[in-house]
Amino acid sequence: MFKMRTRKRIADAFTYAALILISLFFLLPILWVLRTSLVTKQIAYQIPPDWSAPFTLDNYITIFSENNFGQYFLNSLIVSLASTLISIALGSMAAYWLARRKSKGIGLRVGVLSVQMLPAIVLVIPLFNVMTNIGLKNTHLGLIITYLSFNLPYVIWMLLSFIESVPEELDDAAEIDGCSKFQTYARVVFPIIAPGIIAAGVLSFLNSWNEFMFALVLTGNETRTIPVSVAAMETQQGVQIAELCASVIVVIIPVAVLSLFVRKYLVRGLAFGSIK
Amino acid sequence: MNKSKQLGKRNRRDMAILFLPAMLCIAAVVVFPLAYSLILSFTDTNLRSQGLGDFVGLKNYITALTDEYFRKSIFTTLKYTVVSVVFELCIGYLIAALLNRVGRGRELFFSIIIVPMMISCVAVGMIWRLLLHPELGIVNYVIECLGGTGRAWYGDASLALGTLIFIDVWQETPYMSLLILAGLVSLPKDPYEAAIIEGANGVQTFFRITLPLMKPTLIVATLLRAIGALKTYDLVYVVTKGGPGVSTEVMTYNIYKQAYQYLNTGRAAAMSYILLLIVMAISVFFVKMSRRE
Repeated sequence: MFKMRTRKRIADAFTYAALILISLFFLLPILWVLRTSLVTKQIAYQIPPDWSAPFTLDNYITIFSENNFGQYFLNSLIVSLASTLISIALGSMAAYWLARRKSKGIGLRVGVLSVQMLPAIVLVIPLFNVMTNIGLKNTHLGLIITYLSFNLPYVIWMLLSFIESVPEELDDAAEIDGCSKFQTYARVVFPIIAPGIIAAGVLSFLNSWNEFMFALVLTGNETRTIPVSVAAMETQQGVQIAELCASVIVVIIPVAVLSLFVRKYLVRGLAFGSIK
Repeated sequence: MNKSKQLGKRNRRDMAILFLPAMLCIAAVVVFPLAYSLILSFTDTNLRSQGLGDFVGLKNYITALTDEYFRKSIFTTLKYTVVSVVFELCIGYLIAALLNRVGRGRELFFSIIIVPMMISCVAVGMIWRLLLHPELGIVNYVIECLGGTGRAWYGDASLALGTLIFIDVWQETPYMSLLILAGLVSLPKDPYEAAIIEGANGVQTFFRITLPLMKPTLIVATLLRAIGALKTYDLVYVVTKGGPGVSTEVMTYNIYKQAYQYLNTGRAAAMSYILLLIVMAISVFFVKMSRRE
């Protein structure tokens, strides 16, 4: 008995040690970039690094004042937010209808799921031509519409499982009281699945925030999103290490903060509900 | 009769209000572009001239499949996918098993480990580009401090693909761990109690009980990651731009170049359909595998 307990203790110690090392492996690269973004330009270049260098916010001030980063930040925010809100509005209704159908509609479900699997390049080529022809290239609206291509199926798929966990008797009760299907959805189901709505919204916001290929092809100087501007930074001015690091941190911060809120729902959101 | 007719009318109205708007949107931004692209792939449309080009039949597909560089990019993509997914599966399983063992602190470790998978590939690419920079990067400095020699991690054609795979593993292993952990947490307890009574050792328990029960989860996780890896574009764009030479030119990058550097949209559309077929074939393979038993 005693022997077994010691063995368990040793195993626990190893587990914690391993997990600490693994965490460092994932965290240190980001912390290093954070550190580099907080020192002066000259010190950022120094190898071996000067560990005693004082911290400064100069690089952040520079990218926002000189590199037009504020505009790009705003572009990303507008596009991600608008596309997410439209997806939530339309997607949650569609998910509700799909969840409450008599027949399960397997074909429709598989269709929604498989849109998720489409490589972006397959859609980029036709959408570039279409957006150019209808004059929506290099506009916020064009990118917002384009982002519906992945946000909408994503929201529908994720909310299906949330809606299915709402008992149908609640719907029936509301309908007996004279609610239409839409009213039932808006007044009864929507409030109940609010946590799911928020999780799906945050995740689809993050998908849009991080998106690169569509933005690269469909935006120009004024409508550029943050990932595109970060990718373009190096070629524009050689390697401005400190400013580049600051811009990388600006991309990461909203993601790091938001992902803490949706941690619980990540599995549901990322596996597209396929694991049950 | 009258009542059921009324009900049918109501159902149709509900569908029009609730379901149709989303479907119209998906039709406009997914189905229509897909169909349009399929048409493009049979024409010699290019961005040098206006409008749709002439119908050329299967020429684009044949040219693509006989193009040495495109064929090489298919091979590079498959290599990238297989190697990175295998590493992610093994390391991801290990991390999930470790997380599954601990009680206190699990949330904290979990929160740290998921950070890489949440951040944009562009940011991840830049982070590692800076860290692995031959002169200014911290990685070579640390290696030299430890007595090794630094390398040009992404500037050397023999190392660049490996470096990209390493970055992919850094970013996506957390995703694998997350899915596997979800599977491990929901494993039933009974078979393990039976195993202890029968005196099975750890290795036997793992191969006879855990692995078979985890099979569906592992297949889904592998499929999702494999599709993700096949679609890789951002990381290649940021870190190597397909180079040095064409050593890291994956399919998406090759297709992108065909469309926006050589401006042959028709041909690029055909190539993107070949990529789509590969993705579909692999999905079907995995789905078949999960149904077999």
